[in-house]
Parts: sequence; structure tokens; C-alpha cells
Amino acid sequence: MAAPRIIVVGGGLAGLAAVIKIAEAGGTVDLFSIVPVKRSHSVCAQGGINAAKNLKGEGDTTAQHFDDTIYGGDFLANQTPVKGMCEQAPAIVDLLDRMGVPFNRTPEGLLDFRRFGGTLYHRTAFAGATTGQQLLYALDEQVRRYEAEGKVHKYEGWEFLSAIIDGKGIARGIVAMDLRTMELRAFAADAIILATGGIGAIFGKSTNSVVCTGSAQSAVFQQGVYYANGEFIQVHPTSIPGEDKLRLMSESARGEGGRVWVPRTVGDKRAVKAIPESERFYFLEEWYPTYGNLVPRDVATRAIHKVVYELGLGLDGQPMVYLDLTHIDRETLHHKLGGILEIYEKFVGVDPCVEPMKIFPGMHYTMGGLWVDVNQMTNISGIFAAGECEYQYHGANRLGANSLISCIYGGFQAGPNALRYAKSASAAEGDGGAAAEVARQAEINGKLLRNEGGENPFKLWRELGREMTEHATVIRYNKDLKATDQKIVELLDRFQHINLSDKSQWANTSFAFTRQLKNMLELSRTVVLGALLRDESRGAHYKPDFPERNDEKFLQTTKASFTGCDEGPRFEYEEVDTQYIKPRPRRYDAAK
Amino acid sequence: MATVQSSAVPTVRRGVEPLRAGQGTSFIWHKLHSLLGIVPIGAFLLEHLLSNFEALKGPVAYGEQVRFLNSLPLVRVLEWVFIFLPILYHGIYGVYIWLRGKSNIVYYPWAGNWMYLSQRYTGIVAFAYIIQHVLRQRFMGIMLPEHPGAAFWKVQHELANPWMVAVYVIAMICVCWHFAYGVWLFAAKWGITPGEVARRRFAYVCAVLGVLLAAMGIASIWAFTGPKYQNAPADVRLSTLVAPAHSGAAFHSIGSQLMI
Amino acid sequence: MATRTVTFEIKRQAGPDAPAVWESFELEWRPGMNVVSAMMEIAANPVTADGKPTTPIVYDSNCLEEICGSCAMKINGRARMACSALVDNLEQPIRVEPLTKFPLVRDLQVDRSVLFENLMRVKAWVPVDGTYDLGSGPRVYPQEQEANYPLSNCISCTCCMEVCPQFNEATDFVGAATIAQVKLFNNHPTGKVFKEDRLRALAGDGGIQECGYAQNCVEACPKQIPLTNAISDVGRDVLTQKVKDWLRG
Repeated sequence: MAAPRIIVVGGGLAGLAAVIKIAEAGGTVDLFSIVPVKRSHSVCAQGGINAAKNLKGEGDTTAQHFDDTIYGGDFLANQTPVKGMCEQAPAIVDLLDRMGVPFNRTPEGLLDFRRFGGTLYHRTAFAGATTGQQLLYALDEQVRRYEAEGKVHKYEGWEFLSAIIDGKGIARGIVAMDLRTMELRAFAADAIILATGGIGAIFGKSTNSVVCTGSAQSAVFQQGVYYANGEFIQVHPTSIPGEDKLRLMSESARGEGGRVWVPRTVGDKRAVKAIPESERFYFLEEWYPTYGNLVPRDVATRAIHKVVYELGLGLDGQPMVYLDLTHIDRETLHHKLGGILEIYEKFVGVDPCVEPMKIFPGMHYTMGGLWVDVNQMTNISGIFAAGECEYQYHGANRLGANSLISCIYGGFQAGPNALRYAKSASAAEGDGGAAAEVARQAEINGKLLRNEGGENPFKLWRELGREMTEHATVIRYNKDLKATDQKIVELLDRFQHINLSDKSQWANTSFAFTRQLKNMLELSRTVVLGALLRDESRGAHYKPDFPERNDEKFLQTTKASFTGCDEGPRFEYEEVDTQYIKPRPRRYDAAK
Repeated sequence: MATVQSSAVPTVRRGVEPLRAGQGTSFIWHKLHSLLGIVPIGAFLLEHLLSNFEALKGPVAYGEQVRFLNSLPLVRVLEWVFIFLPILYHGIYGVYIWLRGKSNIVYYPWAGNWMYLSQRYTGIVAFAYIIQHVLRQRFMGIMLPEHPGAAFWKVQHELANPWMVAVYVIAMICVCWHFAYGVWLFAAKWGITPGEVARRRFAYVCAVLGVLLAAMGIASIWAFTGPKYQNAPADVRLSTLVAPAHSGAAFHSIGSQLMI
Repeated sequence: MATRTVTFEIKRQAGPDAPAVWESFELEWRPGMNVVSAMMEIAANPVTADGKPTTPIVYDSNCLEEICGSCAMKINGRARMACSALVDNLEQPIRVEPLTKFPLVRDLQVDRSVLFENLMRVKAWVPVDGTYDLGSGPRVYPQEQEANYPLSNCISCTCCMEVCPQFNEATDFVGAATIAQVKLFNNHPTGKVFKEDRLRALAGDGGIQECGYAQNCVEACPKQIPLTNAISDVGRDVLTQKVKDWLRG
């Protein structure tokens, strides 16, 4: 039998981790990425990567990490894969260390660890405040090494459009589009791994990168892959609002001692420094004395929301609160948080060592994603998924610094599993449906180019983003969710009338974007309708009308499947694997 | 496999080629260029400027310096191997380096970029000057190796033209600038001053060196053009017994003839 | 009060062989506006200042936080990242052009893959034995980490190459970014194993010798990477290596 061919889509941490494992095992990989892989969104992760290495004498264990993760995720995550991830985390951090990631060190030359949200242990290894960048580069370098050895072929500047699925429902390859020549081409493969990240663009402005549209997930969702727990969207408590995006202000700012506060008096006009300690409302510390500023993100986000919208204490009446680092000396800040402080200073023009930062929650992470089994394979044979684009590791809320570990661990699982699957896969009959799939995509392209009408894709996108951010993030009401779904249906209809101002077939980025927009619209319905159907509050999903967690009814994984009808996706629910840790109430005002 | 592609696809230019790792010889030629600028050319420049300084003592002292230098063994061989050929190589390869660089001072008017540009302009001025200087002072007119007593007169005669004085002064400044910054560049690129602070400190050292050398050179020009030794005789009588108290490297001899 | 506006002049080119034209745009000013948000605004309303319909600008961007390295372009004559180019800090009209040293694809989009190819040619990686559990990595003291971390911050934006007078098709110079990465990997306890290979590679045509030390790289680097220090250090190491190789025959 010929050597198995594997395609990895996405060059972030999960994709590269999968590539490395496959190449190491002797397989060859075609790696597809819209951007040069070194520019993938993983580069934005700041704070660190969790691993219970217990180098601070606190008695931390992988079991504790496992428990924190499950508890932080409000018991919605299947426990077996999470357990595996937490157990492997120390070895993965060691590996990254061996690969040359410039982690911060203790004077003895060992890895330094800091605290992060949702845990009481120093469990987060970090490289300044650019940990994601450093990790991505380390994997990128390893992949470049395999590329030099001819084991990896990169298709950078190619966009995944769809999977090729044969008559038996088995994936046989992908159709991709060259973003320069706009050429459509089929690539055969025995297994494909999607590692295409989050869906931030659906919310218009988020902390995600431009490429995080969820388009690839949506494409395979529309081809029959389940989309799980779509309603769980993490809103990061501390982001810097901007014109083009929301820039993340890492949780590590609080991990290193940053304090969140507002003046106690509404409309306090005094300069920050003039407000005495007693008149500052450190609301996280007051409300959650045990975890203080390091409560999990969903908790912190709701607290900020409450302070701003219910108590009316936002700074100058604006939706913003202070994140204060000014009590920490400049040297320490520079050493441990350099990268992020630089971002703040560059984009806001204020030195956060001197003046507290003004921050507000922003859409940040997609807990839900493509449904996968314990082998990271979706319900379509031969399609695997890893990283943020799948749903497995974070339940209803992700803990800070767990994303990097879940991406790498997921990739490390998906790679070898895909290779094993590919080796035993039956040969495709004929072209496996490649020509038909290319023709289908060509038809979509053709239609888009021929369309007449007055709609502008970027305007539709803004409307979608506004609607989603307003009604499907921090606080959710069924009435609004229903209206939002209606709005999306309307947008889908208006999509038919998009008239592209640029119909050229050379490096047409707005054309590619418009294709993504269609997929974004389809996928956003799973988020909205998933949220509508879940009448409880759990982790990041919060409904004031149903403020309690309801395990009896909703300790279940949401699985959406595409129908193509106006009614939207079909939803079914699956039992959560809770065999190791019995669900218990989740609270952060006391030790658990 | 199946593809769909519209016709007439533009092609992107090739652009700058990737590194030809470990291939080619340009490294050697570059480093040779760089090294020759310090040794022997730089060393010779120092010697030359020191020798010229003898002119301040008058035509006899200057003539004796010239005679001494010409008395060194194998002087003609040394002259070619350590002076003419290195300067020729340094100059020609320098022009080649210049032509391949694309200055962008208009967009990036930063100090280092100005110095980059200045190194090229001072280099070309120096090279043009040196060519004419060698031709006119070494290979034309009265031959100083045979008539060292005429040295002072020959130079004075050349500098009788005020335009020529201007040329010499400008060239002197360019040569010293080029040399001083060249020393700084050498230290930076050969990793002798790998730190920001070291480079800044060394920049002061080089600046002082450059100014000092230029001042010495201009003082020597003054010796030929000033009132003190006006109308020096065409051939001074040199004492037969006197040898200069200091003995130097072989290329002293040629020095006094090649440059002011 | 009349709405404040911002004027942009953007160099457009439909393809590598198409003629270049300048288009101007007048946009409503917004607080915190940067060059990328202006481009997004144009995409949503592709009309020039004189009311002519046009197409959205083609440009590379991704993270918009100056960490992915995508959006390097020339803004008011200077190579920099568009995401961190705040409109309030720029003189108007804001002139935006593609980088000039890289093959143009379309509008502001250029092909910068040469950098990645260069990184491959200098073996810019740490050759680990395998990804299986081999215990913790080598000890690295905080002082070493602090020296290496800045080098590891390189975002491959290629600004250092764009502003370098020596980086062009005549010299085919490798550029500062790659040289700094050589220093980074040569410093690593395990990465060192390829030190000699990397140094020899950098002595090849287009190698470190082409540096003219104009120091523009270090001025332009958005991440303040000590590039000139790296060039000095690596320059010395390359030379030492070549001399050693020569003496050993």
C-alpha cells in the first residue's frame, strides 16, 4: 500500500503539533494555512501554559490540575480526555523547553511558574507575556526542519473550502483555493485534520485574529460533522477596546498581582492617583475573597458587567474598569509582562506602569467546536479535529493558560490517530468524489461573482458582529436570542444579494472573505440556537432567567447538525463523561 | 486531481533570492576588502601623515625623510604589494559594493544611514584623489626616489594652484573620515564592539582619531603653502651622513611620495 | 461641529504587472483609529474621495496586535506595522504603499516568503531527539533567558529587510532577521549542535558579509530587537569559523 497521505488544515499550535507527530512517525503531511503558519493566531496567546510540575513546593498535582479544569469548566467537559491532557501537560512543557522556548527561569535555571485564574497553584509556565508566540515559533521551527527533510509540504496562502467525502461517507481529501490565483484544487488524503482555531470573527470585534472566522469548521459542519457546545463562548474580562479589534490584556497581568477596581462613587471625577485606597472598590477581591482577582474568566467578566451596567460604576460612565499594576515595580513588570504592557502603551498611548489600564470584557475563546471522539475524530470517518476548533477540553468555560496545553495535546493526539487511521483506511474508489466537490465549489464561486444586488459583505458582517456581541455573549435572554437568530436568517437572505465590488480573480481578499462570511452566518446559528435551548446558567453561558446550573437536564453535550432548512440546525444532546469527578456546585468565594 | 483555474494568471516576480548557504566566495572578497582597509592601507595612511608632518621642519628634513624611506630594501616591491595593489583592490571592490547597495536616506534619515552614505562618498573621493595623487606625485614630473631633495619643491609646486589646495584639503578630510569611520565599522562588523555602549564609546575614539589625522594632514599642507618655506629650492642638498633617528616600516619610503 | 476626517492616499496595483495608481480616501475620524481600521472602513464602503467606486484594498493582516508580523507596509514613507500605526500620530494625508523590496502581489500585499526560506537555510531550529518524554530541558539561567528572549521576539515582519540599503536583488543579502535567529539558536544549549553549519551558511553568497552596518534595521524593528548586536556577534563567529575551517584544511 502507498504511504498514507495526511492533510493538516491550520498552522497554529494544534496543527503544527499534529504535523510534528506525523512526520516524526514517518508519515508525510500536506499542511494548509491561509497565512504563513508563523503568523497563526496562536501567536497572540500571552500568559502561559499550564502544567502541574509542582516546582514551587505547593504540592500541586496533575489530579489537582484535572480537578481545577473540570470545576472551572462547570463539569461540562468529558473527563477522560481532560484527564489525559492534564497528565501529559508536564511532559509537554518539558518538550517545549527542550525545543528552545525561552521560558522565564528561576535563579537555579529551572522553569518559573506563575498563578493564573481558577487555581490556587503556581502552575503556569510562561515566556514573558508572549508565551503563545514563543510556543508557536518552537513548533514552527520543528516543522520547518521536517519541511527541509521533505516530510512536510506547506501550502501557505491556500484556504480550505471543504472536505471531499465519498459515497460511503468517508473523507478522501479536501478542496482548497489558492488565495493568490484563486485556483480551486482537490487534494487527496487518507485522513485530514482540521486545526482551524476559533470563531471570533462571528462576533465582529473580538480578541481573535482576522483569520479566526470558523469558516472551515462551518464548511464541514455543513457537510455533516456535528458541532458541539457551540453556545459556550468565552468573554475575556480584560481586553482593550479598539476600532479594529479588541486587544487582549492577558490574565497574567492579574496573575502577577494586577488588581481590578473602580471608584466607589458614581461619576468620581478625580485623577486616578487622587482616589484614596478606601474609596476604591476592588470588587473581585471583595466578592471572591479566596480567588480575588484570579477568579475564572466567566466569573470576572460577569462581575465587571454587573459593576458597569447594574451599579453604574464604569469609569466616566463608560463601559470600562481599571486594571491596576502601578503598585508593582517597573523592573518586575518589564521582566514578566513586557510584551503586553508594550501593546497597551502602543495602542492606547498610556504607560501602564504609571497609570492603571482601562479595560473591558471582550469575546475571546470558543469552548465549543467540532464534535470529536476520544481519538479526536469527528463523526465523518477520516476527518479529525484538534485545538480550539474542537470542543473537548474546556467544558463550559476554559481556564486561563489551558488553551495552549489543549492545542498541543490535541494535536499530539490527532496526529498519530490520523496516521493510524490512514494506514488502515480502504482505498478510495475513483477520485473519491473530488471532481464533483471541485465543481460544487466552483459553482459557489461562480454564483458569488455573478450575483447582482446592493449588499456589501463587510457591512453584513458588521451587523452580524453587533448582534452576536450584544445578545450572545455575557448575558443571554431567550427573547433576544430568538431575535438574533431571526436577524441571522435575514442576513443569510441578504447574503444572496451581495454584489462584490471586486470580481477579479487575482488575490481577491474580499471575495475570499465573502465566502467565509457565508460560513460564519451558518455557524453563528449553532451558537445562538444552542444558547436558546440551554435554559440554565453554566460557565460562560449565563441566563438571568435561569441563573442556576441544572445538571438534571443540561449536564449534556450539545450536538448540532446541519439541516439546510430555514429552521436551522438540529440539536441533540449527549451524556457527559463524569466518571472521575462527581459534579458539585461551583463557587469561587471560598476554597473548593 | 481536479482543478478549476481561470486563464491568464499573473506571475509574481522572483525578488531577492534566499541565502546561498555556504556557497560562493563573496565572503572572502568582502572580508579582504575590509581587512585591507585597516592593514596595510590604514597603517600606511598613519605612516604617511606622520612623515608628512616632517614638512613642518622644512625642505631639508622632509627631503631626508624621503631619502630614508627610499633607502629601504626591496622598496619597489613593498610599494606595490603593500600599497598600490591593496588600494586598487580596496577602491575597486569598494565601488562594486557601493553600486550594489541602494541608499534610502530620503526615507530613513537616520544617523547610521547617513554614515553608510558618507562612507561611500568619502570613499569615492578618496579613491579618485589617490589615483591622481599617485600619478602626478609618484609617476610624473621629477622622480623623487632618485631626487629626494626635490620632494618639498615638487609638492609645493603642486600646491601653488589654489584649486589644488582645495582638492588636497577636501581629500584629506574625506580620507580621514573614511578611515576613521572605517575603523569603527571594522570593529562593529568583526565583532570587536558587539555592544551598543562599546560601539558608542568607540565612536568617540574614532571621531577623535579622524579629527586628529585630518588636522595633522592640513597642518602639513600648511607647511608647503604657508609663508615660512616659500619658494623652496628645486633640489635641496641633503647631508650624506644623516639618517633619521627613527626607523620605520618599509613603506615609509613610498609614503612621502604618495600622499600629502 | 463638522465631523473630523482623515485623508488616506493608497497606492494600488491590480497585479504584479499592472500599473500603479494612487487613490485617495476620506474617512470619518474615530478615536484610536489605526491604518488597518481605515482599510476595514474602506472595504465596507469602497468609494474614493472623489466619489468613484473602487475595490477593497488588498493587504495582509491578522492579529492586529503587532505580534503576527503580517501587516508591514510603508506608511508615510516608512516601513512599519499598519496595526500599530495610529492615525492620530501620523501626518496627513497618510500615504500607504506596499513594501518595495519584495515581489508585489496586489495593492499592499507582497510576497515575503524569502525570510522563511532563509530561516530554513540556516537551520533555525533546535534539533530535539523526539517529542516523547525525555525529561526536562537543559538548565538555562535567567540571565541567558533575558539575553535570548528579545531575539525570540522576532515577528518576521521583514521591516529590517525593507529598510536595509543592502537588501536588494543585487546583493541578495539575507537580512538582519535571519542573522539574529542564528545568534538565538547558536546560544541555545542544544541548538548549538548546528552552530558551525549555521555560521558556514551565513558565509555563503548573500551572507552576513553583505551587511553595510547602516543600522537601519535596528531603528525600524517594531520589536526593538538588538539586531546590530546580533550582526556583530554573529559576524565575529562566522569569521572565526571560516578561519578555523581554513586552518584545519
